[in-house]
Amino acid sequence: MAHQTEHTTNHPSTKQYVTIAIILFAITIVEFLLIWDRVGIADDLGASKIPLLVALSAVKFAIVILFYMHLKFDNPFFLRVFVAGLTLAFLVGIAVISLFVGFEGKPRTFAQNTAVPYEEHAEKDSGEAVTGETGAKETDTPIMTGPVTLVVGVAGETLGFDTQSITAASGAEVTISVTNPSANNSHNLVIVKAGTKDAVAADGTAAGPTNDWVTPGDSRVIAHTKLLTPGVDGEVTFTAPAPGTYQFVCTFPGHNFTMFGDFVVN
Amino acid sequence: MAHAIEHEYTTTGLNHRKMLMWVFLGSDCLFFGSLIATYMVYRGQSLVGPYPVDIINVPVTTISTFVLLLSSFAMVQALAATHADNRRAIVGWLLATAFLGAIFIGFQIVEFNTFKNEGLTLGGNLFGATFFTLTGFHGAHVTLGIIWLVALAILGKKGRLGPNTALDVELCGLYWHFVDIVWIVIFTLLYLIGGFDAGPAPLGG
Repeated sequence: MAHQTEHTTNHPSTKQYVTIAIILFAITIVEFLLIWDRVGIADDLGASKIPLLVALSAVKFAIVILFYMHLKFDNPFFLRVFVAGLTLAFLVGIAVISLFVGFEGKPRTFAQNTAVPYEEHAEKDSGEAVTGETGAKETDTPIMTGPVTLVVGVAGETLGFDTQSITAASGAEVTISVTNPSANNSHNLVIVKAGTKDAVAADGTAAGPTNDWVTPGDSRVIAHTKLLTPGVDGEVTFTAPAPGTYQFVCTFPGHNFTMFGDFVVN
Repeated sequence: MAHAIEHEYTTTGLNHRKMLMWVFLGSDCLFFGSLIATYMVYRGQSLVGPYPVDIINVPVTTISTFVLLLSSFAMVQALAATHADNRRAIVGWLLATAFLGAIFIGFQIVEFNTFKNEGLTLGGNLFGATFFTLTGFHGAHVTLGIIWLVALAILGKKGRLGPNTALDVELCGLYWHFVDIVWIVIFTLLYLIGGFDAGPAPLGG
């Protein structure tokens, strides 16, 4: 019984509760009076009232947790637990807001540059061009970043490819399909850094046909097909590297002088 | 019986259930804190209307705020009645608290409907998305509290609430008051301060 008596006296009396309720009501009325003349009017005069409104709100917050939730009378450990959560919440809030403020520009600017009107999402998804005031940048042609397949053929019995230049988007998954219609010659296709085709081919000669005429681990080589014997087709799949101009070449000994082209990455 | 329960051995010397409630409320601060931070980040960033100044009705929401504050008062009276072992008062104050909470939810339903009819939707603009998510989750908390209160009132009617089981009422009260203080923050930020924002730029920074 002693415990219960102590427990009861630890709580405010009804009279005190009424007083607290009246204070809370009074603060809310003050808050309302501070802003009610602005109702329906867009102006920034109220900005100077923001600190006062926040302070009044904080006072109400404190009164409720201290009296209605008995933290003033209860074991201080409960207060610490709650304040810990509250502090973390503040830190998370500050972190989120700082993250966005730290970005160059505003979310709104970003949104304006990239937004697509809601009604037209369906059109966009179905692949049709989006028209209207999307605010989208009028700039560049769309870059295909999805998987693409490029076809490169060997030009018959001559030592050359049938195309001089192929193009892909940086980051795209590119598959180069090589056809070798020759009845006599073996070929491969090696993607190399600009200006390195002859050096790569020279080193590849030393590596021999078992390595597809490519030095294993050559840092100048982006990707390469296997050695394609006469009449055999093959392909190589890789992720397009950083934008720039690369070369594709056949490293079968001697072919590199005539059998090459440009691989352009946007 | 009651003494045996209230004096159970714990490492902190504090009641487990009450500790659990406070830890939960502390973590719920994080939940609402994140939603509030999201609202602040996207404040004034909507590309299309309706903007807050077009539809936020501060006077009406001030009334529903009073209702919720009053419900907190009813809640503390319910707890006092429990300590006083006054069964009729326990049931009466618990139901009064639930009823006031239901009125608050009624205000919110009408508000959401009005906003929807004026074109504010969850997917329409950033204001709609952040507003409905934040106030909607608060409304869900209030609804849960109402269910809790009604359940307690039924227990009270059966005579199972009294000084020995006052903790049952106290825990519900802690939750209910927490929902109240979350609304105190939301009311200030979304209505008193944010309710006058016009598109497209935020007012006052």
